[in-house]
Amino acid sequence: MSQFAVIGKNVPKVDAYEKVTGQPIYAADLKMQGMLYGKIVRCMDYAHARVTRLDFSEALKLPGVVKVLGPEDVTQNTYNTGACDEMVSDKVGDLLGDLKDQTIFTRHVRHQGDAICGVIATSEEIAERAAAKVIVEYEPLNVFMTPSEAEADGVLQLHPDKPNNQAFQLPEAMFPGNSYGWGDADDAMKEADLIVEDSFYVNKQKQCQMEPHAYIAQVDGRGRLNCWSSGQMPKITHLKIARLFDLPMSKVKIHSTTIGGGFGARLGIISEPETCAMALAVPGRPVKVQTLREEDWIISESRHAGDYWMRLGFKKDGTPVACQARFKANTGAYFTHASGVPFTTGAWLSGMYKFGALGYQGESYFSNQAPAGAYRGYGNPQTNFVLEQLIDRALNKLEIDPVQWRLDWHKGVGDDGWCFGVKYPSCQLSECLRQGADAIEWNKKSDELKNQTGVKRRGIGVSVMNHTSGATPMLLEHTVCTVMMNEDGSAVVSVACSDLGQGSHTVLQQIAAEALGLEMDEVHLKTGDSDANGFDIGSHASRTTYVGGNAIMEACDDVKKQLLERATRHLDTTVDNLEFAGKTIFAKNNPENSITVAKICHLGVYNYMDPETGEPEGAPGQIFGFSSHFSKHNSPPFGACFVEVEIDTETGEIDLLELVHTHDIGRTLHPAMAEGQMVGGAQQGIGMALTEEIYYDEQGLALNSSFTDYKMYGSSDMPKMKVILVEDPDPHGPYGAKSVGEAGLTSPVGAIANAVYNALGIQFKEAPITPEKVLKAIKENGLSFS
Amino acid sequence: MKERAIQLTINGTAMNLTVPVHQTLLDTLREQLGFTDTKYGCGTGECGACTVIVDDKDSLCSCMALAATMNGRSITTSAGLAFDGLNAVQQAFIDQTAVQCGYCTPGMVVKSTSLLRKNPNPTEEEIRKELEGNICRCTGYDSIVKAVQQAAKSFPETDAKWDNAVEVKAGVNA
Repeated sequence: MSQFAVIGKNVPKVDAYEKVTGQPIYAADLKMQGMLYGKIVRCMDYAHARVTRLDFSEALKLPGVVKVLGPEDVTQNTYNTGACDEMVSDKVGDLLGDLKDQTIFTRHVRHQGDAICGVIATSEEIAERAAAKVIVEYEPLNVFMTPSEAEADGVLQLHPDKPNNQAFQLPEAMFPGNSYGWGDADDAMKEADLIVEDSFYVNKQKQCQMEPHAYIAQVDGRGRLNCWSSGQMPKITHLKIARLFDLPMSKVKIHSTTIGGGFGARLGIISEPETCAMALAVPGRPVKVQTLREEDWIISESRHAGDYWMRLGFKKDGTPVACQARFKANTGAYFTHASGVPFTTGAWLSGMYKFGALGYQGESYFSNQAPAGAYRGYGNPQTNFVLEQLIDRALNKLEIDPVQWRLDWHKGVGDDGWCFGVKYPSCQLSECLRQGADAIEWNKKSDELKNQTGVKRRGIGVSVMNHTSGATPMLLEHTVCTVMMNEDGSAVVSVACSDLGQGSHTVLQQIAAEALGLEMDEVHLKTGDSDANGFDIGSHASRTTYVGGNAIMEACDDVKKQLLERATRHLDTTVDNLEFAGKTIFAKNNPENSITVAKICHLGVYNYMDPETGEPEGAPGQIFGFSSHFSKHNSPPFGACFVEVEIDTETGEIDLLELVHTHDIGRTLHPAMAEGQMVGGAQQGIGMALTEEIYYDEQGLALNSSFTDYKMYGSSDMPKMKVILVEDPDPHGPYGAKSVGEAGLTSPVGAIANAVYNALGIQFKEAPITPEKVLKAIKENGLSFS
Repeated sequence: MKERAIQLTINGTAMNLTVPVHQTLLDTLREQLGFTDTKYGCGTGECGACTVIVDDKDSLCSCMALAATMNGRSITTSAGLAFDGLNAVQQAFIDQTAVQCGYCTPGMVVKSTSLLRKNPNPTEEEIRKELEGNICRCTGYDSIVKAVQQAAKSFPETDAKWDNAVEVKAGVNA
């Protein structure tokens, strides 16, 4: 029998009942008394231009139009919609060259969809019609869409501090030689018997969360700016909005609405600034801004595309002697995550294998693409696509089995993780590899597939990954939790942690219930209210269960400490002699001598004088547990993915037959939700490998801003899936848990590419691997299959 | 602006409405009547978040139909499936942890119910085929397919419909 009451159990998700009946309120569902509608006028026809004329006169004539705000009608303060700038010290931010380069409305269009002005009207329809009547004339500017175009001579520099449009490179002061790694990779490479090297392109993938962004803002009767937002970092939103409008944080309230998926798209802020600026122009009236899907597509941040070069050196026996890499990320029109992603891309690289020496250079470049930002994996899938393919290319030449080599050379317990000096505290990757290989029948299929004939070719591939559980020590890791004990012994746990749908509110409630010895129903998680919740950096970096969970456990420990102290008075004994048994505290030397938690809590609140003794009945004061938890640890999860594909060499179509996802996520707190993260993550990893990319025309205008033209794997496309969770409680995670949020996306990317390589003997250097590319490569390589 | 008087039965309640002729059924439901359990996902019939059941069986993307063309029809949303408790599909979505962010869920539940009313014993392939028009970015679909399979085991007995409903349990937003 499990040692736990609710941990490890598939308890119903706390929000499932309301979600199956459609009751939760997402931002777009809100309707308020006197509500006005805002429409942001965006530049849809140019990716790079200057506004030469802006005329609101026709728009203002339309009945129902309340105001039109141009670039000069709103605060001139600048901001960064990302969050990295708030998660490092000012000193580190200066070294990284972080920028706040965004304005609410602009006269310099840097990408298609840039915001020019905002219309406020009495209905959405009038706002839309008025937006169409705003006259905007443009002077087109030269468009540059890639890092190499951006750094070319004569190209307009998007920011005065960033020559050659290089938004970021690993700074010399922190990374000598602008390089991250260990040893002298140049020198070590000389020892290699085999060197493999290539340049890859990784794609611009969109999160495609199902809820399009929507916001409401209102200045209330007390002059407070209220903003209803579905951001995944409400406390960062709170800070950024207060700072942008020069308001004390006490004058700003963020109401978190139900989040319809995030995957990074809601990391930081998006259109909160425009919406709040409109609300400030019409005090008292709520203003709602509903983003259309096609608008959402081009205004919110995507995964970083980029050019990724890598060189690997090996001894004949497979010993990996050196790794050199350079990632030139395309950050798009604004800085956003220009420093974060190029760093972590190399961090995941460094965290994977025991190379003798490693040198990674990470850079990012401005362009006229829509801004890139955070997307589930945050640089990791990019590395996976490149590293895992090159490893297999070398192993093919060395005639070493890909599973065996990974078993021999992956980093494990005690090795430096993705950040030097932070050792891996737990790792079951070897077991993942063994169980995954068995599940897909690796050895049997490896032999069978060597002698194939016919136009359809099968292949198997493997890929491994490490990720993170929070961002310690790179970024701030801080969550505040208060636990209020009600007078009947039930608890209200207050944290600002968001639930994007992954189930973090369910898991956090499980952790609190387990820690306090309560039933799930006896705990309420209070979230989503910036007035009530203490600080939390937000849902990112797969941190909510690991860091938020530990914050809750600390606050629960505080509660339990106070309960024990009070019990000593009731039971006339010492703390050492006391023990919890569910909701009761008893004396170890006399179990009859006991008191319920409910009674202690009740007497603490309803505290009266005993009329006979004149003493208070029990200890006075309501019990509040508190923690302001800074995570000292980081326990990365690991995973191995195995894939079998069948490729039609006449059509180029890749049929994904099976995907086995093995993961070490420490102890599994909720098996069904963990599995859901794995399968859902795989759907996105498959997309990155095979179908998903935002395409642009020569003018820099997006070509496929719709679900029809941007192909994601659907219900009929998904392969047979098997998830294997290898459980090994981690020493630092809450109840031994490590993260699971981002992990599922990464390893399918490399595994699919390797399965394609196994089937055709061709490696694809550009993701996604589409049928067109397959046919072209077969032709270019002069191959024929029959 | 041209308007038209129509009668719609929504989750069992007959309503006489005046709608602009260019208004989609989605906007009538959400904006005019407050049935926000029907979601806007794309407005172009590509994602299925706005799926409703028409006349008890067939499903439709409500963003693709003008309300004025629906005169006399009966519309069921996810909230309307829950009378005297959840219907089997809704319960199965909870049991199979087939709900993540919940934004596609009302449309998925409605679409799955429509499928089971037409075909109470679908194969896995038929379920996946039927759900192709409903996009979920969270689950990878496996748990949703399992939920439909679970619901099929007790269909149609557990499919409470508004016409035999006694009491509204899962309050309708309107």
